[in-house]
Amino acid sequence: MAKRYLILEDGSAYAGEGFGAGATTSGEVISNLNLLGYQETITDQIYHNQIIIFAQPAIGNVGINHDSYESILPTAKGMVVRDVTNISTNRLSRLSLDEFLQQHNIPGISGIDTRHLIRKLRQEDGPMKGSIVDVADAHAFDQLNATVLTNRQVDQVATPKPYPNPDTGKNVVVIDFGLKHGILRQLSERRCNVTVLPWTASAQDVLNLDPDGVLLSTGPGSPLDLGEGVLDMIREVQAEIPLFAIGLGHELFALANGAELTMLPVEYHGSSHPIRRIITNDIIYATQGQGYAVVAKSIDRDRLITTYVDLINGTVQGLRHRDFPAFSVQFFADGAPGPHESRDLFDEFMEAMTARREG
Amino acid sequence: MAKVVVDAMAMQRALTRITYEIIERNKGVDDLVILGIKTRGVYLARRIASRLQQLENVTVPVGDLDVTPYRDDIEHDAQGEPEVTATNMDFSVAGKKVILVDDVLYTGRTIRAAMSAVMDLGRPKSINLAVLVDRGHRELPIRADFVGKNIPSSQRERIKVSVSEIDDRDAVEIQQA
Repeated sequence: MAKRYLILEDGSAYAGEGFGAGATTSGEVISNLNLLGYQETITDQIYHNQIIIFAQPAIGNVGINHDSYESILPTAKGMVVRDVTNISTNRLSRLSLDEFLQQHNIPGISGIDTRHLIRKLRQEDGPMKGSIVDVADAHAFDQLNATVLTNRQVDQVATPKPYPNPDTGKNVVVIDFGLKHGILRQLSERRCNVTVLPWTASAQDVLNLDPDGVLLSTGPGSPLDLGEGVLDMIREVQAEIPLFAIGLGHELFALANGAELTMLPVEYHGSSHPIRRIITNDIIYATQGQGYAVVAKSIDRDRLITTYVDLINGTVQGLRHRDFPAFSVQFFADGAPGPHESRDLFDEFMEAMTARREG
Repeated sequence: MAKVVVDAMAMQRALTRITYEIIERNKGVDDLVILGIKTRGVYLARRIASRLQQLENVTVPVGDLDVTPYRDDIEHDAQGEPEVTATNMDFSVAGKKVILVDDVLYTGRTIRAAMSAVMDLGRPKSINLAVLVDRGHRELPIRADFVGKNIPSSQRERIKVSVSEIDDRDAVEIQQA
């Protein structure tokens, strides 16, 4: 395999071997601490324009299978791994990771001391740009430093047009900010008749469909870049219809209800933090992926109740409106990849819809 | 033959949702008191109170009412009405928002008796009813404000609620008579 480099905007360069596509790409470099689920990770649109460093040292050993796509067209900018494995014994595997990355023009680099790199990035106090390049010369660094990363991530990955995912059960409108397929799978398992709307949909667009419930999806980038329109939509919809928000949706739900957000110095992507479910005072684990967090002190207690909290970094992981059946979680309740124990939030959503219709 | 219609996880979720709905409806937990109807309503009432405590860091008073045995598996005769035989609460209900909690809402006669007993003790600001299961077949104009699960049932069937505090598990089952 060809020798390639990961270079960072602080001037450091790491030599490794290329796999996947031979493209030269730039993006924000982030670390993912999950042990499982590299396919879900690289296909999750929250990683749009990002280069992902995997803490798990062996990546590629279950290939690529049809059950684990979180989107069909991945838009991550690269994978940085310790060892890449192309031997897969998984019976579902139809494609190797290497082939998959080639098809989607995503470069990978292996043989990198990912633990060292992750430790270093954790000490930074802001995002770090990086590139995967053939030659780590002054020109490559100039190119990297001149790269301006977009803040229109949601526009680039979310659906521009509505589409249905029909079934025979409850009518659910999903607002797409760059959703994970895991969300649609969980709704399908519960027979929901889903309509996915673009994130620019107005409250009227939503209410016209007479949904039993509305779900605000996960998505990439900053919730602060999406404008007031979406917050107005949330405020109007939550007063009428049970609402469940995940990830970016949670951050927007918080903003719509007067809370403030802070950008984390280092994005957190992992599933090893114990999360306390406050109402029953027990612990769950879930896949988390966040660059922003709700500021606990900014929460207006007359409007919102904190429902989940991360016990390692103290971040707010769940909120609920005091006046309406509207609730949100920062972590990925669809459990793709990762711990499945928060999937019953989808049952909670179903039951909130039932209670609303029957009550 | 028994069929589990609400498992332990679903029961936890139902109580969680009822708790949030109580907060929504009452705009908080001020002046709230919770009364469980014996036997299983008492444990459900305590679980709701402990959830409110976790969320709001406020101790909501919990009491219980003992209603004469009146079971839906025993054919009741038209003469006998359930009556509250004992109340166990160390607080006044006067001016309070009372939440009555029972496991199964059926004819409504137990709830009527409970409401009379509460009224005899003082004038509450309001009385709301929370039940884990509403199985229908009301004989009085009584309706629950908070319902864990509606289970349409035949009168020949028996709804059995188990709570882990006194039974071996949390579950709601339907048994064919």
